[in-house]
Amino acid sequence: MNAPEKVVNLFDPIDKARPSSSLFPLRDNEPEYALLRDPHSQETNRYGDRIALLDLVDEAVSLNINGVREVGFNPNRYKQHAFHFTADNCIGCHACESACSEKNDLPPHLSFRSVGYVEGGTYPNYTRMNISMACNHCDDPVCLKGCPTRAYTKHPEYGAVIQDPDICFGCGYCTWVCPYNAPQLDPVAGQVEKCNMCVDRLEVGLKPACVSACLGNALNFGVVENTPENREQIATHLPGFPDPEITHPNIRFQQIKSMPREVTRTDSMPVKYRRDDKSGSYKPAVDQKAGKARHWNIARLSSRENPLVLFTLASQAAIGLFALMLLGDTLGVPAISTFTGSVAYPVAVFLCIALVGFGLLMSTVHLGKPLRFYRGFNNLRHSPVAREGAGVALFMGFAGVHMLLELGQAPWLVSEFPWLAGFGAGLAIAAGVSGALALAGALIGLYYMVRCYRIKARPFWNHKQTGFSFVGCGVYLGALCLAVVGGSSQAILGEPVVPLLTLCSVTMGLGLLLEGTGLVLHARDMTAAESEGAVSHYVQTTTFGKTWLLRNVLLAVTAGGLVLAPLYLQAATGVAIWLILALSTVLLAVIGRALFYVLVIPTTMPGAFFWKNKGFEQHARDIGLADMPQVGVAPLRH
Amino acid sequence: MLFGRRKKNPIILRDKGVVEWKYATCGYCSTGCAMEVGLDAAGNAVTTRGVADAPVNLGKLCIKGITEAEILRAPGRGTDPLMRNHSYEQWQTVDWDSALDKTASEFKRVQERYGRDAVAIVSTGQILTEEFYTLGKLARGVIGTNNYDGNTTLCMASAVSGYKRSFGSDGPPGCYDDFSHTECLMAFGSNLPEQHPVIYWRLKEAQEKRKFPVIVVDPRVTMFAQFADIHLPITPGTDLVLLNSLAHVIFAEGLADEDYIAQHCNGGEDLRELVKRYDPATAAKITGIDEDMIRNVARIYARAGAAMSIWTMGINQSTHGSDGVCGINNLNLITGNIGKPGGTSLSITGQCNAMGTREWSSCSGLPGYRALENAEHRKEVGEFWGVDPAFFPEKRGLFMTDIFPAIESGEIKALWLVATNPLTSMPNTTRIRKALEKLEFCVVQDAYADVESAQYANVFFPASVWAEKDGCFTNTERRVNRVTPVTAPLANSKPDLWIFNQLAKRWEQGRTMKFPDTAAQVFEEMRALSPGTGANGEPRILDLSGMDYDKLLSQRGIQWPMREGDETGTARLYTDGVFQFADGKAKLLAMEWRDNNEKPDSDFPFWLNSGRVVEHFHTRTKTGKVGNCNKYSPTAYMEINTDAARELGIEQMEYVRLVSRRGDAVVMAQLTQRVPYNMVFVPFHFFDCVNRVSLGLLDPHSRQPAFKQAAVRLEKVDQLEAARLNRELRAY
Repeated sequence: MNAPEKVVNLFDPIDKARPSSSLFPLRDNEPEYALLRDPHSQETNRYGDRIALLDLVDEAVSLNINGVREVGFNPNRYKQHAFHFTADNCIGCHACESACSEKNDLPPHLSFRSVGYVEGGTYPNYTRMNISMACNHCDDPVCLKGCPTRAYTKHPEYGAVIQDPDICFGCGYCTWVCPYNAPQLDPVAGQVEKCNMCVDRLEVGLKPACVSACLGNALNFGVVENTPENREQIATHLPGFPDPEITHPNIRFQQIKSMPREVTRTDSMPVKYRRDDKSGSYKPAVDQKAGKARHWNIARLSSRENPLVLFTLASQAAIGLFALMLLGDTLGVPAISTFTGSVAYPVAVFLCIALVGFGLLMSTVHLGKPLRFYRGFNNLRHSPVAREGAGVALFMGFAGVHMLLELGQAPWLVSEFPWLAGFGAGLAIAAGVSGALALAGALIGLYYMVRCYRIKARPFWNHKQTGFSFVGCGVYLGALCLAVVGGSSQAILGEPVVPLLTLCSVTMGLGLLLEGTGLVLHARDMTAAESEGAVSHYVQTTTFGKTWLLRNVLLAVTAGGLVLAPLYLQAATGVAIWLILALSTVLLAVIGRALFYVLVIPTTMPGAFFWKNKGFEQHARDIGLADMPQVGVAPLRH
Repeated sequence: MLFGRRKKNPIILRDKGVVEWKYATCGYCSTGCAMEVGLDAAGNAVTTRGVADAPVNLGKLCIKGITEAEILRAPGRGTDPLMRNHSYEQWQTVDWDSALDKTASEFKRVQERYGRDAVAIVSTGQILTEEFYTLGKLARGVIGTNNYDGNTTLCMASAVSGYKRSFGSDGPPGCYDDFSHTECLMAFGSNLPEQHPVIYWRLKEAQEKRKFPVIVVDPRVTMFAQFADIHLPITPGTDLVLLNSLAHVIFAEGLADEDYIAQHCNGGEDLRELVKRYDPATAAKITGIDEDMIRNVARIYARAGAAMSIWTMGINQSTHGSDGVCGINNLNLITGNIGKPGGTSLSITGQCNAMGTREWSSCSGLPGYRALENAEHRKEVGEFWGVDPAFFPEKRGLFMTDIFPAIESGEIKALWLVATNPLTSMPNTTRIRKALEKLEFCVVQDAYADVESAQYANVFFPASVWAEKDGCFTNTERRVNRVTPVTAPLANSKPDLWIFNQLAKRWEQGRTMKFPDTAAQVFEEMRALSPGTGANGEPRILDLSGMDYDKLLSQRGIQWPMREGDETGTARLYTDGVFQFADGKAKLLAMEWRDNNEKPDSDFPFWLNSGRVVEHFHTRTKTGKVGNCNKYSPTAYMEINTDAARELGIEQMEYVRLVSRRGDAVVMAQLTQRVPYNMVFVPFHFFDCVNRVSLGLLDPHSRQPAFKQAAVRLEKVDQLEAARLNRELRAY
């Protein structure tokens, strides 16, 4: 057998005289297994993308790692690299994880690479398959697209997707969109960090630290689509690994030993994986770990995402309110134009601004680094989060202008400052334009708010129900706000209240029916889904089963009651009934939105019994074990 | 392709800022990985890396080695000597002289009142060989107690005993390189990927280059068992039956290497006669392994050109551990698989320097595999040390596992614990706790002041740890390798060598004897004691006389024997078929199996099995404080069969109470089919856990406890109370 061609010697070893030898640690005698070795590679990958990300240029640019100016002269430097994982060999020894943590100086609660496992069979015919997973430096880096701050860069050097914590403001959106749980949100530092492919090692011809540390000969690394020495498979499917179509990840697998038909997870996630005999790959299915009993678990509705519950509800209410007023006025709906023509109208616009302002404050509070909030618009080109924020901010700004312009036409102000009358016509036109722009901003904001949650890695959200819910919520919360502000101002001004209240009630009812329709479709689709969405729905109907039923009953009763409002609003107790239904509307909106956030189950990699087990993390926080840093569970700051 | 930006930002990677790398051998297990410890500009040890050209590990390290720099500054390190009159009092910080004076005067008082052997010393496999040698000199030559042993009795005593009974001497005959030559490997009760991951990697590398069958004997479906070509899920405690039955098939089918037996072995006829009673059909009923499989395995093993066996605690920690080792030796002797590349009996040792203590600590005799029972050896060592040979006892004293019962019965009144934690590591710790309470005086010498056994100490000596010290370790394959002082001792802690030397000065005899100050000088003494003639008239095997510190460093460790003038060490022992008995022949031993374990019954229906996990070492005094190790198993748990758990109504992550005839322990349940229906597996690392319920019947030859065979039942517990208890018990 011919000795494999060594390409590492083509490198210019980077200056060894620099002050630190932790990085670029090329020694004279680096062992063979640690050396990059890809004498040949394919033109394109299996998805048809070119593996050479740039044509080799004469003047390669330094990656500028920690101020080091030298350039690596790896002939494969501009080719997409990938991990190769032989699942048949992984012994779960944690060497890769600890080598990574050691190189990147990570505290115990953080890890760029994690090993979990699935298991199946019956003793002694038992099989456990460990899965070591870090970042897959995808062809389609959804993290990069999703990040509102542009903290991510995909480098043509090695195809490495590298995130810069100094840019990140800790919104955690990349952790939502990544199907592999690669970006790690550090609740202590308030920022995300992730695998950097050990580009410093690549520059001197060494494989990443995790690969070099592997003791089972399971992990390997090289130019994508190359089959490592002694391996025969470069598959993209593995039991427990999400659908590669989501991001075209740069990881390849060998898994040729037979596996049980069904494998389970040891962590608390009620997911198992079943072999689909047609495709040979494994699909997620519900593992009824919590039985079938329904529970309340009201306290568990509260989560880290509470600020987002408030942000979405408040901003949707504001958008709904503004849109109803503007559309009602434009269409000449009498009950509304009476109100929009009154002195109270600017107050209602102010309420919109206040609600949006509160919502934005909440979403800022949700950030790991709130003072960096202004970076939220950096990535308008790709990120729905940035666009959502921009839309909502535009809405807020133009609504403010609109409010001032409306005020400028208010009779009580004109009588005070007669010179204003001279601008009347101009003000009216400007108010109309700013109102239309505000509405446009609102609709853009609402559209991208929906897009934000249409995430392939989160099947429970990636359903039209998200749209039904957000729009429906805008309608019924907006109408509710209009009823409250408009109704009370009409009452104060001595105008009739019932026409507006009736209109708002019916609108609320229709909004609720819209959300209800979404929920019915959602439940139907999630029950049938072969994805983590089915699992979320299982949790919804068991762990939160009673809460879920309560919300559904409330929704049906409230929607019905509101639609029928014309029948009873004239009666003496009509307003009292209406008030109860209004409260119920708020309650079911909050419950529904909280459920939306706590129920989502991403396409995460399987965890282990302690590490990356949500159930254990929760338990460790509950009993105080998390207070010991070496337990590796960061106590949540609340 | 989407890159996100054209003009790229600089990349900032976290950098530990290493400016210097210093050499050490890993201080955890006995694989003996050579590593370099990275120091930052301030001189702090911040990281480690494997030495790329080290013959053992070729640059690889396991999780514990990778994170090992952290143990130097881990919480709980002892910083100053401590003293108190009674264990219920608060510790007082004192200076070294006070602590050493107090210890010496208490030892003298106890010895004067109750006799020389009323002071017991229990040492370790953790400290450096030079320190072991010095401790042995102090214990045998100055203090003069015969109740001196190491905690290696808990892990390797059966291997030592088995080697001595089969080959006439301790000393593993094989090496890791045998993986590259063997044609069949059989592992008994050894979970390499978890216990010795780097050795597993060596095996894996060999297998990738050249396929050969791997057979794993283990009641649990470990990753090793799962990856093996053949897994024999044996009934606990029945290894000897399997081994005798394998020998039965080999003899019955004419597969034995009769020439080798005739030339190099005694006892063949007795063995043949005995194993006739262990036909596969009979053995199958006892071992749970079907008769066809027993025949199949025997044929594969015997027909392989070279076949080797490895084993660890599954054999050693058993009521017939020593017999099990001899059974493995029998298997290899009758197939001619000793001393040839790929053919060996290789015990995979536990602690980093278990070998060092076996060789040089004088625990079981006198230094350099010398015996107290041998008058010549007593004379030789007595003269070398300047001790009247008559001062040495003529027979070795109590083993560690007999020392605690002797405290219980009042024969021993004072105890010195060196780097060992019996309150967590011994079986049936309730009994150990009661014994420690009875002591008149107890001194604990450890790198960690929070070691649980310090609860009963009157004096605490804060020892320096691992790479704060200078000296050597010997690994599983007899490779002597260097540990260099990478950082200065923490605070007022002192190297164990210094502590032994200072204590020696408190005796008249210690002042007249030579106790060299430096490890290098001690190594010279060991070299001087190395050469000579063994019982068989051939040169002694444990010979370091050709080694020195420079050679050890430049060759990244050397396997003994390396005699004066040799260029390097020796990969294998007994390559000439000459063993250490007087006639140079090995012994084939005929050993009857007795069924004496506590087995599951209607009251206690589960086997209790215990063992290690990769992320922890021993009683967690180190790894329990290293977050990137500890987080993978931060609390006590057990593996229980999913079906059994369902029947008992036990759910995943539920706390369960284990109850045995000794006591109870609360653990978290992990449901898995990895263990059989009637077995639970509990990692042994956790304080007040599995060893509250374990039994630990002693092997008659090695006095090693059978940690892995006992019976328990499971009871439901209040989950909140159990969680509270779990939190309270996790001091680290």
